[in-house]
Amino acid sequence: MLIGLDVGGTYTDAVLLEGREIIKKVKTPTDYEKLLNSLLAALDPLLEEAKGRAIERIVLSTTLITNLIATRRIEPVALVLIPGPGLNPDTFDYQVPLTISLSGAIDYRGREIEPLNEQELKECMEKIKDSGVRRIAVVGKFSQRNNKHEQKVATYLQEHIPDLEVIMGHQVTGRLNYPRRVYTTLLTLATQRRFREFYSEVQELLHRRGIKAPLYILKADGGTLPLEQSAAKPVETIFSGPAASTMGVLALTPRKQTSVVIDIGGTTTDLALILTGTPLLASKGARIDDQLTHVRAFATKSVAVGGDSCLRVRNGSLEILPYREGPAYCLGGPQPTPTDAMRVAGLTDIGDKDKAIDAMKILGKDLGLSVNRTAELTLKMMVRRITAEINSMFLAWEQEPAYRIWELRQKRKVRPQNLVGIGAASPALIPLLSKEMDCRPVIPQHAEVANAIGAALARVNLRLTFHFDTERNFYFIEENGVQERIPEPLHSLQDAEKFALGRLKEEGKKLGIITDDEPEIIYSELFNMVRGWRTTGRLIDVCVQFPTGVLVEWEEGGN
Amino acid sequence: MSRKTGLVFFPAFDWAITPTHPEREERLLYTRDQLFEEGVMDLPEIVEYKPRNADYKDIARVHFCVPDISAQITEAHLIAAGGTLVLADAFMNKEIDNGFALVRPPGHHSMRVVHGNRGFCNIHNEAIMIEYLRKNYGLQKIAIVDTDVHHGDGTQDIYYHDPDVLFISFHQDGRTLYPGSGFCNELGGPTAYGTTINIPLLPNTTDEGIHYVLDQLVLPLLEEFQPDIIINSAGQDNHYTDPLANMRFTARGYARLNEKLKPDLAVLEGGYAIESALPYVNMGIILAMAGIDYSWVREPDYRPENFRETPEHMAYLKGLVEHLQDAWHNREEMAAAGFPWDEEFFESSRMIYYDTDNIREQQQEKIRLCKRCPGYQVIRSRGLYPSGRIRTIQAIVLHRRACPSCQEEARELYRERIADPEGLDIIYLQDKPQDRYHQFTVSGESELQY
Ligand SMILES: [Zn+2]
Ligand SMILES: [Zn+2]
Ligand SMILES: [Zn+2]
Repeated sequence: MLIGLDVGGTYTDAVLLEGREIIKKVKTPTDYEKLLNSLLAALDPLLEEAKGRAIERIVLSTTLITNLIATRRIEPVALVLIPGPGLNPDTFDYQVPLTISLSGAIDYRGREIEPLNEQELKECMEKIKDSGVRRIAVVGKFSQRNNKHEQKVATYLQEHIPDLEVIMGHQVTGRLNYPRRVYTTLLTLATQRRFREFYSEVQELLHRRGIKAPLYILKADGGTLPLEQSAAKPVETIFSGPAASTMGVLALTPRKQTSVVIDIGGTTTDLALILTGTPLLASKGARIDDQLTHVRAFATKSVAVGGDSCLRVRNGSLEILPYREGPAYCLGGPQPTPTDAMRVAGLTDIGDKDKAIDAMKILGKDLGLSVNRTAELTLKMMVRRITAEINSMFLAWEQEPAYRIWELRQKRKVRPQNLVGIGAASPALIPLLSKEMDCRPVIPQHAEVANAIGAALARVNLRLTFHFDTERNFYFIEENGVQERIPEPLHSLQDAEKFALGRLKEEGKKLGIITDDEPEIIYSELFNMVRGWRTTGRLIDVCVQFPTGVLVEWEEGGN
Repeated sequence: MSRKTGLVFFPAFDWAITPTHPEREERLLYTRDQLFEEGVMDLPEIVEYKPRNADYKDIARVHFCVPDISAQITEAHLIAAGGTLVLADAFMNKEIDNGFALVRPPGHHSMRVVHGNRGFCNIHNEAIMIEYLRKNYGLQKIAIVDTDVHHGDGTQDIYYHDPDVLFISFHQDGRTLYPGSGFCNELGGPTAYGTTINIPLLPNTTDEGIHYVLDQLVLPLLEEFQPDIIINSAGQDNHYTDPLANMRFTARGYARLNEKLKPDLAVLEGGYAIESALPYVNMGIILAMAGIDYSWVREPDYRPENFRETPEHMAYLKGLVEHLQDAWHNREEMAAAGFPWDEEFFESSRMIYYDTDNIREQQQEKIRLCKRCPGYQVIRSRGLYPSGRIRTIQAIVLHRRACPSCQEEARELYRERIADPEGLDIIYLQDKPQDRYHQFTVSGESELQY
């Protein structure tokens, strides 16, 4: 049996699954101050239902990291940067208490083009000592291709400052983009302690309940990792809420289809795309606090409109405001809302009908429209706003840059087949939206706990991206910071692929990933290095992963 | 609204002329690494665009492809040319303040008639972009500054008879480098005399020398010409590490050049120091165009003191600048005196060599000397292919501002030639006033129209 738990901003969902069958589902309000209590309130009924039968794993998705960062309750981290030539390092402000730039540079092939300066290093150490900050992120440009400078700085600082916690950029990510690496590295260190604290409490709690099943954490890219792995890079678990709902929809809708996931809540409508069965990832990585990161996350969009959005008329035209003044008028709230319009239009039976009519009257008076026309106009505006955002998401995907002929050839215009609604206001609005977009409306069964289902069924995902430089006889792996000599000669792309797949399986074993699925090659590419009309080496990129997605799919799903 | 620079980055990682050719998959690989590692695409001043395919008609506005367009191009060519069109649209729609198309394959050695690949080029990206801009947005006066180390002989050929296009190329002296042209006396045809300016530089000219030419000659000329748009044929092989040439220009020199020149649109041309130059030069150009501090961009072995000019070079440059300034200011008198204006046509002939494809082309050109308009030209071209095969074509180029009687003459000439092909294989008419492009293949008696 599997357990999925999603501690969301408003509700905590939990499900107990046996294959395709939902044995038990629970939905309770989330108490921010006492997250553990919310968790228990959702978990206990499931455990009771399980009655001691074996639970294979528990997957948790929480807003913990999102909240820590949003409320700035993260640890202070100082930056030691080795930017080398290029952009003026002052271009970026990472909003940290202390930033020190060192000279020294590595180039795109990983060659040292300027050594570190010992004197600067000493001054840097003294500054850190004086500052009192005890967490340091050391990040160099192109450090993923040669971590020598990062290693040297980190070792030196740790030798001279006791109790200093140091993290290095290459350990966090080897993807190109130094500013994103700096920010991701510093967030990683800034969240590690809180993350560990929280999860050791969770583990303690599970232990007390007699649960021996391993605990997995859902990440922003819809995959899960065992707790230990997540603890090294907690920032990857940010935005696990939207990831959980998308994975839930993936499980609850037919396979290999193209769908828009629409979660209509109180003041926002959250959108995500599933393209022929694969959730779309944000091309530039997750944006946190308006800064781009290397965190792989689904491409989501939040539209500032929901069931409780405040409505008003200004200069003779209707406006949907991006905030809430309280519940809907028909539920005793102070202001007309889209929920009142839905009530009047007969799309829902929530709330008091007369009050809903009053709400539309208030607006209609200033608009010069009848009650019914006012409700229609409100809904039409909402539908237009949401469909415009959906279309712009598809357009943005089509417009994503491509650097190869085959990639350009592949990107055709794609239209969604299904609009899949979850969230309270979805049943009322999905039919209207679907009509506007000429798609199939889908309100999946168990939609109210889609997040927990998504968490429960998300596969472990492990992806490794290799870069081989046969001329320098060196390779590195983006995801785990490995930088080594190439152990066996690579004569062809096939050799490199074989090597990469072998390493992935090894790594999977280490993480306890048990799967019958064969790993897959995401892409592989070979560049001959030609110097003076002669091939002197090869640059080979290979990306491999275990299949992603959900463990079980409901065959039909929908309606 | 803040300043925006548009970028199309199309490195064509799956296209090469041949596996070991300088124009191969690897060429922009390290540039990609540098730009992406710097996070250039994330900067608020930068907007990245996805390229699209150019249409055959876009190509037909510029070239006479033998035997037809599809024989001369691959999909990579369509994408590189199309990438420039994406930026052209974004620029004209005011989405961006300027733009740089970092695309390959390059184009500035492609001439009007295309029998094959010359100097790594088949079709001319900038000219395709310019004709597209003129057709779709009504631009009139264009300035092209070619900062590639090689003479932009394709650009010169395409615009040699167009008085509305000022083409300025500085390059390593043609006596010491491919394609062996681009001398001071190549100043334009009778109807466009003085709107082609060639600045041959001595080998080993440095930042200082190039900026002298820029400040003293190029910028004042542009100021006087008052173009609607400035295009940079942004080759990067003037760099001091380029393996195919012998100049001493630096990444910072290129950046400062773009800062002063302020091109509206720039298109990558040559540059084959793929590791030691391109990552840094491209970085410098992008930052300069976007108005971002580029003073931290430098090659690993950059030392400013290595890029000073010798007195001999400065003396040569001074003389050269004066000579070209004179030519520019006296261009109308020289055009009136130098050509037989009492006759209908002025004729010339030449040989063109296609280095990559080893094709020899013989060209005779008749230029209609009209006193009311830039007229038309009739090109007769014989391509001698390595296989021994020969193709002969005739092509008529009608200027977009041709007067009604020139238009009628040119169209009549096309019809006459079709009726009596005189041993020709293909007959073309580039009817720019009507934006119609005709190609009649004699053997199949079939006409293609774009
Ligand atoms: Zn040039
Ligand atoms: Zn060149
Ligand atoms: Zn005329």
